[in-house]
Amino acid sequence: MAEVNLDKIFASFLLSLDDIEDISELPNIEKEYLGKGSLLSEERSKLATLSNEDKKKYGSLLKEFADNVSTKLDNFKTEFEEAFFIEKEKSENPDISIDWYSKKGSKKHILTNVMEEVVEIFASLGYTVAHGPEAETSWHNFDALNTPDWHPARYESDTLYLDKDLNNLLRTQTSTVQVRHMQDNPPPVYIVAPGRVYRSDQLDATHSPVFHQIEGLAVDDGITFSDLKGTLEYFVKEFFGSSVQTKFIPHFFPFTEPSAEVLVSWKDGEWLEILGCGMVDPNVFKNVKYPESTQGFAFGVGVERLAMLRYGIDHIKNFYENDLRFLDQF
Amino acid sequence: MKILKSWLNDWVDIEKISGDDLSEALENLGFEIESRKDISANYKNIVIGKVLEVYPHPNADKVRVTKVDTGNNIFEIVCGAWNFDVGATVPVALPKSEIKDGFLIDKRDIRGVESNGMICSATELDLWEDNSGILLLNDQVKPGTDFSSIYPQNDIVWEIGVTPNRGDCMSHLGVARELSHYFKKPLQENLHSLNPTIENIMTLSSGSIKECNTYAGVEIEDVSISDSSFTVRYRLSQVDTRIINNVVDYTNYVLYDIGQPLHAFDRDKLFGKISVRYAENNETLLTLDDQQRELSVNDLVITADNKPIALAGVMGGLESEVTTATTNLLIESAYFDKVSIMNTSRKLNLISDASIRFERGIDHNLQLLGLNRFITIFKKDQDINYSTPAIDTKQKLISNKVKFNRNEIYKLLGIKLDDNFISEMLAYLGIEFEISSTEISFQSPSWRYDLDRPVDLIEEFAKHYGFNNFESTLPIGVNKNDVGQYWHLKKELTTRLNGMGLYEIQSLSFVSEDSNSIFTPEKKSVEINNPIDQTNKFLRTNLYTSLIKTYQSNFEQNKRSHMFFEINNVFDAAEHPKYSSIPNQVYTLAGLVPSIGTHEDMREVPVTKDIFFVKQLLANCFGDLEFTKIQKPGFHQNISYIIQKNNSILGHFGQLSSQLEQSYELQNSLYLFNIDLSILTTKDLVNINYKPLSQYPFVKFDLSFMATSDLKASDMISEVENLLIDNENLITIFDDFKNEKIRNLGIRIQTRSYSKTYSEKEVSDILNQVVEVLENKFKVKLNKGS
Repeated sequence: MAEVNLDKIFASFLLSLDDIEDISELPNIEKEYLGKGSLLSEERSKLATLSNEDKKKYGSLLKEFADNVSTKLDNFKTEFEEAFFIEKEKSENPDISIDWYSKKGSKKHILTNVMEEVVEIFASLGYTVAHGPEAETSWHNFDALNTPDWHPARYESDTLYLDKDLNNLLRTQTSTVQVRHMQDNPPPVYIVAPGRVYRSDQLDATHSPVFHQIEGLAVDDGITFSDLKGTLEYFVKEFFGSSVQTKFIPHFFPFTEPSAEVLVSWKDGEWLEILGCGMVDPNVFKNVKYPESTQGFAFGVGVERLAMLRYGIDHIKNFYENDLRFLDQF
Repeated sequence: MKILKSWLNDWVDIEKISGDDLSEALENLGFEIESRKDISANYKNIVIGKVLEVYPHPNADKVRVTKVDTGNNIFEIVCGAWNFDVGATVPVALPKSEIKDGFLIDKRDIRGVESNGMICSATELDLWEDNSGILLLNDQVKPGTDFSSIYPQNDIVWEIGVTPNRGDCMSHLGVARELSHYFKKPLQENLHSLNPTIENIMTLSSGSIKECNTYAGVEIEDVSISDSSFTVRYRLSQVDTRIINNVVDYTNYVLYDIGQPLHAFDRDKLFGKISVRYAENNETLLTLDDQQRELSVNDLVITADNKPIALAGVMGGLESEVTTATTNLLIESAYFDKVSIMNTSRKLNLISDASIRFERGIDHNLQLLGLNRFITIFKKDQDINYSTPAIDTKQKLISNKVKFNRNEIYKLLGIKLDDNFISEMLAYLGIEFEISSTEISFQSPSWRYDLDRPVDLIEEFAKHYGFNNFESTLPIGVNKNDVGQYWHLKKELTTRLNGMGLYEIQSLSFVSEDSNSIFTPEKKSVEINNPIDQTNKFLRTNLYTSLIKTYQSNFEQNKRSHMFFEINNVFDAAEHPKYSSIPNQVYTLAGLVPSIGTHEDMREVPVTKDIFFVKQLLANCFGDLEFTKIQKPGFHQNISYIIQKNNSILGHFGQLSSQLEQSYELQNSLYLFNIDLSILTTKDLVNINYKPLSQYPFVKFDLSFMATSDLKASDMISEVENLLIDNENLITIFDDFKNEKIRNLGIRIQTRSYSKTYSEKEVSDILNQVVEVLENKFKVKLNKGS
């Protein structure tokens, strides 16, 4: 029985492993020592010629050799890969402080963000969104809202009119939507109406010829001033946070009675006006042909003002100049 | 309007109430506090002096030397003012005192004469602006008296906002009346008995028109025009009124005191009967400001012998003006219609403290009190001879009695008020009323124009109950979590477009006509009658120019090229589809995509976009769309398409024309899209057609065809889809090579059966079938070898 020196072969196998530079060489080595045509397969083929006893003995030696090579290969593979991956990842070490992709906000305009947020708060209270024309009749903007022909508010030079007879104008308030909505829908009404309004002001730090308001209207059986108060207090806490206090002070609007202004507690004990509101004046209900006993409340809030307060935005014109340096921040 | 605590105190005893409590009261009563200034007299070493001697300065012509008794000492003081003489009572800043702006006064040598302090003017003591010289004080004050003691201590000035419905609160009396209920302190009457010594020589008439219901006047003789009293000057200066002379100051004083505007005529310049009428066209009047005013039939005028002498309630005439030479006066106290006064003052742009009060409506029963107050204040200061006030009133104006059920209060406010609260409040506010267990009836007093209806009085209850004392209740509406189509659509589109990297913008709606006609010449622009700026006097008919402007300004100022969109109304002069008599306004989405974007990847990898990107962006928003080429102003002659969905037109998109690209000086091509949102609903945005997933492997083949240039690739895809309709397919164009001669179109077909794995034979059958159908249907030829 011409035995080969398996130990010597194993030693040469180990040596060849040392020379491996890339894991792809491994299958070749496996083939060389375990595959077809390898010394091992040659020796195995010889087993048939041996006696039973020798066959058993030599066979087990060959098996042991094959097992050793396989185990070693497996271990080598695992270790090699581990070391390889460690090296590979070592070299992959980005400086994550770099902003290759620009730091962008939501890309939604901040006024949209604020309006959506206000709408969500009121939607959770059962209000839907209503809308109406921006180029309106003077009747919808003034008369229907109990601001008759002789009323000083109509002659304020800040209304932009669309004809010489002053019949049409760009709405100065979203309250027009109250009128349109009630003309088209019977009570009960629970609506908010976000939208653009227009005034004859030059665009500067504190004025804009275009700005946004959100009008709210609730008309239902048994709606009272207490309901108005509770609703707006809820809104303020949802929007500005539960620690913000509100106070209501009497005010005057032609289309509500009683009318109030809502102030919120701000930094340094300052109180800031953020809302106008009141119980809808019976004349407004009369103008939209609602029954005499109808009751409800209405409110209006300036969207730019909410945004300026919350984010400390300094110039109203920033909202309309669409400078990416501004748009990117929200 | 400014109000003064010490002045309010004439009407209601608030002396001991703190400034904070008063501020809170004012605010709770509906007077918005615009500012508050606490005044405390803080004069040190400034005393009252009596001038004993006056003599020339030995070395100077422009100043005099005086000897002044300052109580403990007699000082020699050099003085540059000439408006006083021996016997005058004046404020003296003694050595080591401080006057306005921290200026220190001490002994000083003035051209060889030692001056022991300074005799002060009102300006120097920071009282009011007065350049006429030294402040002359009442002779009764003893020399040596601390100047602070004649000045009100711890006074407060508030600037308050009075809402337009409360003309009655445009005076100290009006505000005091509100406070009297708040603090439950009685309102003073301040009506003093008079002792007339002369007869009226003028005849006064309120004329024949109803716009002057009452015309009253008093005549005063032998007055001397001089300074008004210290208190009047102090008070007027604190409410920002210029100090003129006693007659003018006292008319102003009465206005701020009780809200009755008065006008003073020089009686000696008036001839004939005084009356009121509307002016006639072409009549003119020279007003106090030396302007010749053209009058019209809507202007109320006061006439003497039927000739206009004053614009009623707005401004007096120059010819009958009170001057320093005036000795005899006619003081007018009238009640004019508010609308007439408003029309005239606005037409002539003459807005005065008087016209503002008339406009809002003054107390129609206040005219005699006005004259009474004027005389009372004047005679405290000067011995004057005055007549019995004359008054001509047409009809007694009596307001209607209004009656309502007490339940209305609870119904509207949600609070229950007891009898005591109701009757106390109405009594304090001077409102006549009757109250039963079920009803309240009331009558509005002569100063209240805002109390016509039950709701008006209920508001009053709410206010005096205190808004902050109401309970808060939270009603829930009928549309839980349903924002409605309009909002939902905008929100959904905004979110999708943001997700694709477009910035939402908000831009102004005003543009030049050019900017409208570039893209939408077919639309007639809506013009603003009174534009803010003549160059942008039209409402935009499209959103494109705003988007391009935004793109340009960001490119120029920030060197950034990005995608933008805007959702807003555009306007044109056509009729509104839903509402009559207003212009058409279409809720529109428009967007801009530049061919090269910057700042998406800072490694300066150029991010290029083309018309196919925009098309895909639209598909991502609106689902399956059809596009038809169309030529449109402002757009590329070929790259311009109508967008349709389910056979209705949604809008248009394309590439900005080469010519505009050049004239806007753009560095990039721009792609623009426009969608009419008024016809869309959120349902149109959802396009879900579920197909089950095949369990079998796909077969894939790439075919290259020679095709004509007018072939629509999508038609080929549809044809293949149709052919393989029972399969799960992914069919795409992977190549479209064109030159002048040929076009090669590569179509990639990936298909799997729902029932089996295809055999090689089946695959080749499919392939042959596809090629055959396509070659027959379209003028295409398979490139062999593909």
